Amino acid sequence: MGFQGLARARELYEGRDQRARELKAEGKKVVGYLCYFAPPEILEAAGCVPYRIRGDVRQPVTRADEYVEPYGCPFVRNTFDLAVKGRYDFLDGVVMSHSCDSVQRMYGIWTHYKPPAFSHMVNVPHTITPASERFFRRELEFFMERVGALAGRPVQTDALRDSIACYNRTRELTRELYALRKADPPLISGTELLEVLIAGSGIPAAEFETLLREVRAEVAARAPRAGAKRARLLFYGCINDDVTLVRLIEECAAQVVMDDTCIGARGMLGTVPDGDDPLGGFVQYYFRGFQCPRTYRGTDLSRFDYVVDAAREYGARGVVLYMLSFCDPHKFDLVDVRRHLEAAGLASLVLEDDYTLANLESMRTRIQAFVEMLA
Amino acid sequence: MTELRRATKSLDTTRRAKELLQGFYNRAERRRAGEELAWCMAGVSSELLHAFDLPWEWPENFGTLCASRGVATGFCEQAEGDGFSQDLCSYVRNNLGYVSRMAELGRVPPEAPRGGMGTATMLLGSGALCDPRTKWFQSLASRYLPLPVFHIDPLGPPHDVNVDDPRIEAHYKELLRETLREQVAFLERQTERRLDQERLRAALGHAQEMIALLWEIHDLRRAVPCPMGSEDFFTGCVVPLLFMLGQREAAEYFRCLRDEVRDRVSRGIGVIPEERFRLLWMGIPPWYNLAFFNAVGALGAVFPIETVYFVGAPVEIDLAGDPLEALVDRTWKRAVWIHRWGAELIPENLSPSGFSQPGTRLIRQWVRDYRLDGAVMHRTRSCRAVSWGQVHIKNQVAEEGIPSLIIESDMADPRSWADSIIMGQVQGFLDAIAASRRSGARA
Repeated sequence: MGFQGLARARELYEGRDQRARELKAEGKKVVGYLCYFAPPEILEAAGCVPYRIRGDVRQPVTRADEYVEPYGCPFVRNTFDLAVKGRYDFLDGVVMSHSCDSVQRMYGIWTHYKPPAFSHMVNVPHTITPASERFFRRELEFFMERVGALAGRPVQTDALRDSIACYNRTRELTRELYALRKADPPLISGTELLEVLIAGSGIPAAEFETLLREVRAEVAARAPRAGAKRARLLFYGCINDDVTLVRLIEECAAQVVMDDTCIGARGMLGTVPDGDDPLGGFVQYYFRGFQCPRTYRGTDLSRFDYVVDAAREYGARGVVLYMLSFCDPHKFDLVDVRRHLEAAGLASLVLEDDYTLANLESMRTRIQAFVEMLA
Repeated sequence: MTELRRATKSLDTTRRAKELLQGFYNRAERRRAGEELAWCMAGVSSELLHAFDLPWEWPENFGTLCASRGVATGFCEQAEGDGFSQDLCSYVRNNLGYVSRMAELGRVPPEAPRGGMGTATMLLGSGALCDPRTKWFQSLASRYLPLPVFHIDPLGPPHDVNVDDPRIEAHYKELLRETLREQVAFLERQTERRLDQERLRAALGHAQEMIALLWEIHDLRRAVPCPMGSEDFFTGCVVPLLFMLGQREAAEYFRCLRDEVRDRVSRGIGVIPEERFRLLWMGIPPWYNLAFFNAVGALGAVFPIETVYFVGAPVEIDLAGDPLEALVDRTWKRAVWIHRWGAELIPENLSPSGFSQPGTRLIRQWVRDYRLDGAVMHRTRSCRAVSWGQVHIKNQVAEEGIPSLIIESDMADPRSWADSIIMGQVQGFLDAIAASRRSGARA
C-alpha cells in the first residue's frame, strides 16, 4: 500500500509531475495552467487533468535568456526555462491568463519557441465593472469551447457542476485544515499545509479530495502540541510554490499560521457559487473575489482589511511580505499594505527574492530578528 | 558618468517644436484659475479630453522632462525613500517622488522644471498598456493625493486569436466601448459638462490627419540618406503625437514636418554627412541623454525608424456618425492592423491613444524597407512592458541577417546610464558590422 495523508502529500510534492505523467500514460489529456483566472474546474469538466505549472527554485535559469529578457518576473522566467528544457513536454496543452504583464507577454514567447499542441490565453480585465465581468464571462465561454474541442466533446453543464462541486469540497476541506492552525501551537504547520496544497495543484480534484480527507484525519488525531509558544505569522505576497522559505521561517521560532498567497488562502478558502449559472459563479469567485493585486480595487486602504481580519482570526502578530523581483502589482501594493498593517498594530517584514532563494541565510537572520522583535 | 545632454536636432520644424509645445505646457497655467485639471497617462484619448475642453497634464511626460533636466534622480530617490521599489517604473517613481516632496515642502519643489505640474483635480488612468498604469494612480491617490480616479480598461486580443471572427470583434469592442462610455460619464460628473460631440468629431478628424502625416513621414525616412533620425522623432514628434493628438495646431505641425522631410529627400539631404550604418532603435530612449543619438551619428550611424510610439497605417473611420463609436472603431482597426503583423510581443495593442508598437513581422520587413544594418535595443530596467521582447526581436532580425546590440539603462533614471561603457559597446558593434561587410566583400 502506498503512502497516505501527509506522507503522500510529501511524495506528490517531491515527485512534482509524476502523478500527472502517470495519468497521461493512462490516456488522459494533461493541460498545464499558470493561474486561477483559467479555472481548473473547466479543464476537469472536459475530462482533462489540470496541472498547475510550477517553477523550480532549485533549478537555475540557463536557457530562457536565449528568448526572454533577464528583467522580468523570475517565477515566470523559471517556468519557461523548465519548458524549454523539456520538463513540460508531457503536457497536452498550456493555458495562461492575463494575470499580469509577465504572464501575458510570456504567452507569446512560450507559444512561439515552445509551441504546445494546444494553447489558450484567458484575457482578464483590470477593473471590476459590469462590462468587464461580462467580458470575463465571455472569455470563459471561449475557453470552454477551446477545451471542448481539445477533449473532442463540448463541456457539459452537468459535468461542470460536478467539477465545481468537487473543487468546492477540496476548498471546504482546506478550510478545515486551515482552522486547525488556529490552535496554539497549531496542529498542522505552515510547511506541511503548503506541501499539501502544492501537491494538490498537480492532481485531479477527486484525488486531492481524498488526500485532504486523509490529511485532515491524520492531523485532527494529533494530540495538542505542548512546548514554547512561537511567533505566529501570516505569510503574504507573491506566488510561493516551494516550501523552503516557509520551512525556514518555522525553523526560526515562528509558525506560519495563515497566508495570503494564490496557491494558499486566496484561491482555496472560498466557494464557487454552484447554482444554475456556473460561469457566473466563476466570475464571482475567480474575478471579482480573487484578491490578486493585479486587479484594481479602488484607492481606499480598506481594500486590505481582509489581510488584517485574517491575521486577527488566526492570531498572527506579524506579517511576512514576500516579494519577487519585478512583480509590479505586489510592489505597488507593498507600501499601502504595510501602512495598513502598521495602523492595525501588525508588524511586518519584507523578504525580497528572485525566485532562487539564494539569500536564504540572510533571510534567516532577518526572520530571527523579526521574531525576536515580536517577542 | 559623462555629461548627459539634450539632442541636437536636424530639422527646422522640430527645432520649432518648442513653440508648439509651449502651448501644451502653458495649459497648466489654467490651474491657477482654479479650473479642473486632469493628470492622465498614455492610453487615454487626447481627443476626448479636448472634446471636454479639459486641460490635462501627463506625469509620464513630466518624467521625461525631469529626466532631461537632470532632476528625476532626486524625485526617484524620494519615492524610494517612501518605500517604492527601484524595480518600479521610473516615470512612476519620479511622479510619486515629486508629489511626496511637494507634500513635504507644502509647495512645488523648486527644482521641478517649468514650475512643476498643474494641480490635479482628478486622475485618469489606463490599463491599456501595462500593469503599472493600473497601479500608479492607485498608489498616488492612496498615499498622497486623495482625488477621484478613473481607469479605462480596454484589452487587446492575444496573438493567436482570430481577429476576423465577428464574435471576437464584438467581444473586444464591447469592452472598449463600455469603458470609454464609463470614462465619458466620469468626465461629465467631474466637469459638470456634457460631452461635446462636435468637438470630439473635429478632434478625431485632426487626429486622422496627423496619423496619416506621421505615417507618410515614416515612409519618407526609408530614403538614403535618411532625412530624419530618432533624435528628431523623439524630440519633435512624441509629445505632439501622444499629447496633442486631435488638435489642429499639431496636425499643421506634422504637415510642415512632412513637407520638410519630403524636401530633404528630394534634395538628398541626410541627418549625417556620411551615412555608414542604418540602425533600428528599439525601446524607450534615454530621455536624460538624447544627445546619445547625435553621438552615434558622429560614428556614422543613423536611426531611420523606431519601434516605440508607433502609430501604424491610417485606418478609415466614419466621422459622420457617433464620434465615440468612431473612436472605438479607430482603436479596434488599428489594433487589428498591428495584430496582423504579429502580436506575440504586443498583446496590449488596443489603446485609444492611437499608438502602440509594431508587430514582429513588420520589424522583419523593415530590415529590407529601411535597409537596416543592425538594431540597437535599449533595455530599460524599470519598464519591462516595452523592454520585454527585445531578445525575441533580436532573434527575429538575426534571421533577416542583421545583428543587434542590447544596451541597458533606464528611460528616466540616469543613475543606470554608463556613458563610456555604452558608447564603447556601440563603437564595438559598428566595428563588427563594418568588419562583417569587409569579410563579406572579400568572400
